[in-house]
Amino acid sequence: MKGDQPHSHNLYSSSIVHCALKIFCALCIVHCAFDAESRQSDRTRALRGTRSLRELVVTAKRPMKDIGIQKTTFDSLALKENIALSMADVLTFGSSVYVKSYGRATLSTIAFRGTSPSHTQVTWNGMRINNPMLGMTDFSTIPAYFIDRASLLHGTSSVNETGGGLGGLVSLGTVADVDSGFNAQYVQGIGSFSTFDEFARLTYGDEHWTVSTRVVYSSSPNDYKYINHDKKVNIYDDDHNIIGSYHPRERNRSGAFKDFHILQEVYYNALNGNRFGVNAWYTGSNRELPMLTTDYGDERDFENRQRENTFRGILSWDRGGERLRFGLRGGYVHTWMAYDYNREVTEGNRVAMTRSRSRINTFFGRFDGTYNPSRRWIFTLGLAAHQHFVRSEDKQIILQEGGKDVVGYDKGRIELSASASVKWQATDRVGLSAVIREDMFGDRCAPLIPALFADALLSQKGNIMLRASVSKNHKFPSLNDLYFLPGGNPDLRSENGWTYDAGISFDTGAARPLPFSGGGGLTWFDSHISDWIIWLPTTKGFFSPRNVKDVHSYGLEGRLNVAFEPVKGWFVDMNGSYSWTPSINHGEKMSPADQSVGRQLPYVPKHSASLTGRLSWRSWSFLYKWAYYSERYTMSSNDYTLTGHLPEYFMSNISLEKNLSFKPVDLQLKLAVNNLFNEDYLSVLSRPMPGINFEFFIGITPKFNRKK
Amino acid sequence: MVLFMAENLSGWESVFIFAAEWPGNRVRIPDSTRCCKFSIVSGAVIATEAAAFGKARRKRKVRKPAVRILTESADGIIGNEMKIIKNIYLAVVAALLATLTSCMRWDYADEGSDFDITAPGLFVINEGNFQYGNATLSFYNPADRTVENEVFLRANGMKLGDVAQSMTIHDGLGWVVVNNSHVIFAIDTDTFKERGRIENLTSPRYIHFVSDDKAYVTQIWDNRIFIVNPKTYSITGYITVPDMPQSSGSTEQMVQLGRYVYCNCWSYQNRIIKIDTLTDEVVASLTVGIQPTSLVIDRYDRLWTITNGGYAGSPYGYEEPALHRIDLETFTVDATYRFRLGDSPSEICINGAGDRLYWINDAVWEMDVTATGLPVRPFLASRDTKYYGLTIDPAGGDVYVADAIDYQQQGMIYRYTPGGELIDEFYTGITPGAFCWK
Repeated sequence: MKGDQPHSHNLYSSSIVHCALKIFCALCIVHCAFDAESRQSDRTRALRGTRSLRELVVTAKRPMKDIGIQKTTFDSLALKENIALSMADVLTFGSSVYVKSYGRATLSTIAFRGTSPSHTQVTWNGMRINNPMLGMTDFSTIPAYFIDRASLLHGTSSVNETGGGLGGLVSLGTVADVDSGFNAQYVQGIGSFSTFDEFARLTYGDEHWTVSTRVVYSSSPNDYKYINHDKKVNIYDDDHNIIGSYHPRERNRSGAFKDFHILQEVYYNALNGNRFGVNAWYTGSNRELPMLTTDYGDERDFENRQRENTFRGILSWDRGGERLRFGLRGGYVHTWMAYDYNREVTEGNRVAMTRSRSRINTFFGRFDGTYNPSRRWIFTLGLAAHQHFVRSEDKQIILQEGGKDVVGYDKGRIELSASASVKWQATDRVGLSAVIREDMFGDRCAPLIPALFADALLSQKGNIMLRASVSKNHKFPSLNDLYFLPGGNPDLRSENGWTYDAGISFDTGAARPLPFSGGGGLTWFDSHISDWIIWLPTTKGFFSPRNVKDVHSYGLEGRLNVAFEPVKGWFVDMNGSYSWTPSINHGEKMSPADQSVGRQLPYVPKHSASLTGRLSWRSWSFLYKWAYYSERYTMSSNDYTLTGHLPEYFMSNISLEKNLSFKPVDLQLKLAVNNLFNEDYLSVLSRPMPGINFEFFIGITPKFNRKK
Repeated sequence: MVLFMAENLSGWESVFIFAAEWPGNRVRIPDSTRCCKFSIVSGAVIATEAAAFGKARRKRKVRKPAVRILTESADGIIGNEMKIIKNIYLAVVAALLATLTSCMRWDYADEGSDFDITAPGLFVINEGNFQYGNATLSFYNPADRTVENEVFLRANGMKLGDVAQSMTIHDGLGWVVVNNSHVIFAIDTDTFKERGRIENLTSPRYIHFVSDDKAYVTQIWDNRIFIVNPKTYSITGYITVPDMPQSSGSTEQMVQLGRYVYCNCWSYQNRIIKIDTLTDEVVASLTVGIQPTSLVIDRYDRLWTITNGGYAGSPYGYEEPALHRIDLETFTVDATYRFRLGDSPSEICINGAGDRLYWINDAVWEMDVTATGLPVRPFLASRDTKYYGLTIDPAGGDVYVADAIDYQQQGMIYRYTPGGELIDEFYTGITPGAFCWK
């Protein structure tokens, strides 16, 4: 993981940085719509011992489009570290955002800076992929192996890409960058709990064409054992008197999953500044929802299953030029989701208790234009449209007059967003940027969203940079918030707030060879969010959303990354991040007895941190990953009770990898150990998590058309 | 100041250098024959003479030295300070390692507390949050106005479960129905310790005792009322409700008069069913209105139920809620009192004498069973409260109303005299929704 974009500390005095700037400029031309700060690293190859993976090492001056932006970028080593990883896993160990996971291969959501998961916007190749019904994104269904570039835009910085990111934006994407000729890779993972992960990739590249096909299939009964401290099994005498009890060692019940993903990409580079692309990603997921630790039902009697078929497709045209560049995208997302809660009433006779179906069709279009009349000015214009059609069926009922009907809704909504920005590199040391954005959802327009950014290079030595930004933002209610039956509230107001950022960062840049490099930063933020939407029970027996809270979140985000070569051939790479995130409810009391005002929001840790350390020598690589969350309150009043206690969370994973090179193929062997200290824990109340578990991977990379 | 590693004869040493001193400075490790010169290139420290250690390293006979930095500037770090910094560094590393290997500390309350509360009192059933398994049980002693929270967990060393729905006391045992845990716990009402449990239920809501060896358990998402034997904690049979689909089935509260049990069918339902306890069959059904939530029998053996009218947009219908009075002799509705469309009345209760009705409709309302119309003023006005549960002390007539507040914190119970005077208040658990008098 890398943090904010580093900066050139002396653009003209350092030959290495000067060279890097040339590379950066070249990338800007070829990859105008993509992050141009990445490039192939010899060091990465040395780390890995093979040429199959890349790390993004940044040595160039930061792009003007990133003026004042608080950004965390993930390198390809973190993304491709393990085929079994979802983006939720990558973000857990690679950043200090809060990942709320309901278990292995179950719902995992991301929240920035003490906000809620629906305040995190997520884009894939420029297309927003938040579920329009729920407003949030399940990161457990996004395999990290399908993502070539990932970055977090914190707080105000998200306004540059999209509106509604009150917490921030997770930007995901793929890159049209493959080796020439035919190349293939196959990786298989075999792990605890009969877990099987398969990954295959076939690529072809020449000067015009880039073709890539990736497939991931993961399956597991996921029936790990754990001590159930929430339950006791009784020991009875002959008269049914309880004479003893104990906490049972149970298996995770009803937790099986089968996930299939295929991603097809084709790019054509006309070599005249035009590049065309097609991305098509299909996900087929069949997951059982694990039973709670407090569930006394017989797993053989109940079926609690969620199925999802999602297709995401994007057509793109990027045109690069010396001064004028633009990108045009059209996309389509189809999601079919089914939730079934069945019970076996009599043997062989299963009856549906809940049969929920939803279909989402989203059409997407986006235009991005960039004009830089001089090296000190950039003007951008962005237009995006999402047209959603949602049909949600939650329950089948018998009507009073007889006959059947379904409880649900069938709605469409168009979401338009337009933005314009001007970025001015006032001097070599000072940059200013202003963004204005207007969002429209359905027939509702949000007030204009303004955002201002500034940065200043304090010292060229160490690239010490100050950044500051301020923005207003709005988040419209999701379609379920408005229309779900029962409970949807069409009178909801959009959540809105002001966010302020200020930070300092440094980066030594990377040298070649690489004895030492480092970077880091510290950012203060302050955010006020009003009309926070929460679903609350009603006396009618269902939940309904309401604008109830005003939240003040503030705190610090810090990061530090260090890479050095202590001995020739040995490489150490360490990345750490930390967040201090008070997120305080400052709303009106909901009742005279309300004790939540002035208290931390539930399930938002005040402190979170992560650390990864990689030690590489020749073709060996050892990785240590650690994540930490402070105690999370489960009550809005922050009361400590025995029933609702989630203590501090510590998690350690390690892996050891060895690369072998033979004439016909390269082999990668890897052993991963998760939950190294065999912690017996919950991440969310009543959701058991697995103890220590292992997975062994073997990767095969044939050497087509290469000199043996 | 920057830390990096330099090699000396005895291995690796940490070296601290002020950034301002980097370029061209020499760092000499004692016992080495030569200094190691560092320079800076593009922000990275380069050891340009590292090879100088080659021969010396092979000797491996020198004691571990202290590290000193020789600097051409006048403000270099002296040896003693370096030792202090080194010790700090090692302490930081040790702390880091300790943090990385820290364990999560859980307090499971495995050791149960010993309660022995023989006094009469009030159990408060706190639903908790759906899917979070944080339901709890509280016990309030009205005489000394004390409350004990989380008594089930404290007595038994395990959680009560997910969505505690109701509790009924029979023959000295309290039967706590835990809806989304699919279980009913039987507990000693003095010690709160478990005495047994009934499992394999679909989605239990209420338990009603017909006799010592027979009870009915209503369900949601099931068209069957389960018949259980409380003595053996086993399911002995089912009462299938006619004309009710399995998936949207819903049976709720039960009251008994004579040999018949009356039950309101609530979720996407509109009727009261009559069950013959001798045959365990539904013998009659009465349509009342959309979603009857609760029911009671008054001193004149009349059944009262209150409907919530459904909700806007419901395909099942949306109507004005109503309070219905049912003549159990004829099993017909003999009086209906309409609320306004959009009201949400629920939780109908009756006092010990059976002559005064209470319910929640934003505020708390009271009505004499002989009244001929709905009251126009509430018994307790809403004060931004989220009234969620209601009960009347059968002995003294005090009114207890639960405020769920935001449903994410300990709810508050307010205790009022029959005249409406507040005499006590106490916090219990999350979402207090039901009560049971001991």
